[in-house]
Amino acid sequence: MMLKHDLRLALRSFRRNPILTALTVSAIAAGIGAAMISITLYHARAGHPIWWKEHELFAVTLDARGSDHTGEELMRHPEYPPDQVTYRDAQALYRSDIPKHAVMMYRTARVVDPGKSGVKPFGVTARLTTADFFPMFDTPMRYGSGWGRAADTTPDPIVVLSSRLNDKLFNGANSVGRSITLNDRQFRVIGVADRWLPQPKFYDMTTGAFDVAEDLYMPFGWATELKLSPAGSINCVTPSAKVGGFDSLIDTDCVFMQYWVEIPDTAALRRYQQFVDNYTNNQKQYGRFVRPTNNRLYDVPAWLDRNDVVGDDSRIDVVLAVVFLAVCIVNTVGLMLAKFLGAAPVTGLRRALGASRKHIMHQHLVEVVLLAVIGGAVGVLLARLGLWAIKAMTYVPGPDDGPERRALADALAHMDYSMVVLAIGISILTGILAGLYPAWRIGKAAPASFLKAQ
Amino acid sequence: MEIRHMLSALWRTRTGPILIAVQIAFALAVLVNVTYMVEQRLTAYSEPTGIDIQNIFWVSTTAYTPDYDQKSALESDLQWLNSLPGVIAASASVTLPQVFWGIGLPFSASADPHAPNEGSRLYMMSARAVETLGLKLASGRTFSPAAVAPVSADVGTALGKWAPEVLITQTLADRVFPNGDALGKNLYVGLVNRSAKVVGIIQTMQGAPITGPFSRWGRQAVIVPINPPGPNGLYLIRTHPGRQAEVMARVEKEFVDRVPGRYVVQIQTLARTAYNTRNGLRTSSIILGVVTLLVLAVSAIGIFGLAVFNVTTRTKQIGTRRAVGARRFHILRYFLVENWLVTTSGVVVGCVLALAGGVIMSRLAQAPRLPLYYLVGGVLFVWALGLLSVLLPARRAADISPAVATRTV
Repeated sequence: MMLKHDLRLALRSFRRNPILTALTVSAIAAGIGAAMISITLYHARAGHPIWWKEHELFAVTLDARGSDHTGEELMRHPEYPPDQVTYRDAQALYRSDIPKHAVMMYRTARVVDPGKSGVKPFGVTARLTTADFFPMFDTPMRYGSGWGRAADTTPDPIVVLSSRLNDKLFNGANSVGRSITLNDRQFRVIGVADRWLPQPKFYDMTTGAFDVAEDLYMPFGWATELKLSPAGSINCVTPSAKVGGFDSLIDTDCVFMQYWVEIPDTAALRRYQQFVDNYTNNQKQYGRFVRPTNNRLYDVPAWLDRNDVVGDDSRIDVVLAVVFLAVCIVNTVGLMLAKFLGAAPVTGLRRALGASRKHIMHQHLVEVVLLAVIGGAVGVLLARLGLWAIKAMTYVPGPDDGPERRALADALAHMDYSMVVLAIGISILTGILAGLYPAWRIGKAAPASFLKAQ
Repeated sequence: MEIRHMLSALWRTRTGPILIAVQIAFALAVLVNVTYMVEQRLTAYSEPTGIDIQNIFWVSTTAYTPDYDQKSALESDLQWLNSLPGVIAASASVTLPQVFWGIGLPFSASADPHAPNEGSRLYMMSARAVETLGLKLASGRTFSPAAVAPVSADVGTALGKWAPEVLITQTLADRVFPNGDALGKNLYVGLVNRSAKVVGIIQTMQGAPITGPFSRWGRQAVIVPINPPGPNGLYLIRTHPGRQAEVMARVEKEFVDRVPGRYVVQIQTLARTAYNTRNGLRTSSIILGVVTLLVLAVSAIGIFGLAVFNVTTRTKQIGTRRAVGARRFHILRYFLVENWLVTTSGVVVGCVLALAGGVIMSRLAQAPRLPLYYLVGGVLFVWALGLLSVLLPARRAADISPAVATRTV
């Protein structure tokens, strides 16, 4: 009842002073708009791609670096081990049965020949991975399933397709049992993954933290069988590493593979860390792992943090936007004060007619909060406009970008409901922060001081 | 002057001036730090690349049949591309310039693998690399045709075999051979344990625009004459000015069918590639710039608003002062000086904030510390902004007629 009365008074006050009101609303809208743009961009990058088991999955990194490494002093975190592992270390780690699941993998490039006349062959990205990939990362399957560990070593001529590639080759039909040609060799489709867009693509961020998943998955044994070169990052970490063809790549200190384990209980995790450390200590006798033991297991949030997925620009933008919002709040305080003091004679009259000090304060605070909420609503619209502009500036459509890549670009500038709720919260807080002092000032003044000047 | 009165008047209505001073302080801190950050980005953005970006385009291919022969394909492709009317030169390459990904290796003046080395981008290109990229040599010559290494099975093998000659950029030469005698010396390559003679020094070649402590690495490059391996093909083609579109159209139409068993992955102008590479720099500069402009605008509006409010509430007093002999100039001066006092107190706090912000930003973004002359520039700018914002209300105050004093007393 009282609130309704206060709101009516607030509207009357807006009408009395439209220019000042508009100025205040636009200042708040600009502040909240900027804050929401930066927070949305930050929020989109700071995602939890596999939140249901993010503390049970661990990226394994070993410090295989030689004693000296170029440019290390310039790194922000020279203490971090390389983000990938070597082929032979992955092989050794894979022997452990402590993890519930373990995956060694890397990305390569293949060419698909659709075998239809008039349709030209095209390049695809393929993930060479061991069998646990699908149960470990909970890859959603549309048709069929992944493979068992035995298929990795044979290796079986089987593949799991992404739904993207399945759409392209089979028009989205159930292709389990059909076969496809990869560089002149036949592979049987045993599964089709459903649309899957983990953001960030935490399990391999070497080609960008925000990338679509590979077009298809192949059993790991094909790596050595076909000598498939990695199509990602290769980093040779000791001065004695020998760069050469595929055979020398898998036999030297160049890291190019991702290694993940799933370990649900902490005792097993401790045992696993011990196993990894024992392994690298043991390798020291062959002149490897010359640095003090520094093997790190990262759960998913720690892994995203280690790879700085959020990035400097997002953080700077948030700091800047919050400072800007603070300036806008200070500005609003000034404008409100001027407005309230300008209307002081009316307030004095109301006080003289019996309105309590508390009521006057309440009424003015309601007015500012109402302004802030209107400003916040305009700010959300401004933010959507700004995000749209930012997307237009950053997303360059490629020649054959499918809906997934567009979805990814959209997601990075998407304002979801939690953001809108946050915007409302920030608006109300802004209103309270900006209104508290002016409302208190106008409330504490003695009525007579306003009346006598008339 | 009436500074003392002014201070006492300010103190009596201190809330407004304090709010303005706080805004000024924030505005100064933001202005100084953001200008510095944007300046760093724009430096990398517009740094000369040394490459004739506007007249180069590239085409990439992938072969998919086992009987595809890279050696003969490469020879015939290069011959065809170089013979097209309008083409200055064409080369095959393993990686593109003006992108962030590529090959990097450690280079050193000494054969000892533990000697200090310097990381650099590596471009593995066919014979006419210098002409194709439009590079200028500071000294020395380009590759001799005999120095070009033949096609290997894959990139790793090609790196392992290396070639007898290399070209390096001046930036790298200065790092690896600080005595300035790089030309003719042997350059040792880590990880592949090979060496090659430096036959020429490239004035400038920016591989990618990099900001921050790694920026030097964007300008360190080595070109080694090796005919790239398959199955992926990448050709850079430099045309005479104005003929790019015509040559590009012809290549797009005819290139894929020249050699069976391959397809064209992409064809793009290097100008577009370079533009895409700078997307992040451009967007972040724009965002930072827009926010700073907003901060300044809101602060200016704040100053303006306070001055208007002051002039309105003091109309009678101003009239009185004018009536007892103050000239218009005195009234104008009063408001300008009063505002300057408020601005300056904000500036003092703002300097502290700006420096603190500089420390935080340099830690957050791993950038060098804020140089002090940015602060000096920022202070001057904020003073000017303050005076400009108050000028209009102050002139309105000066226009108040002395007769006002006689009206409502």
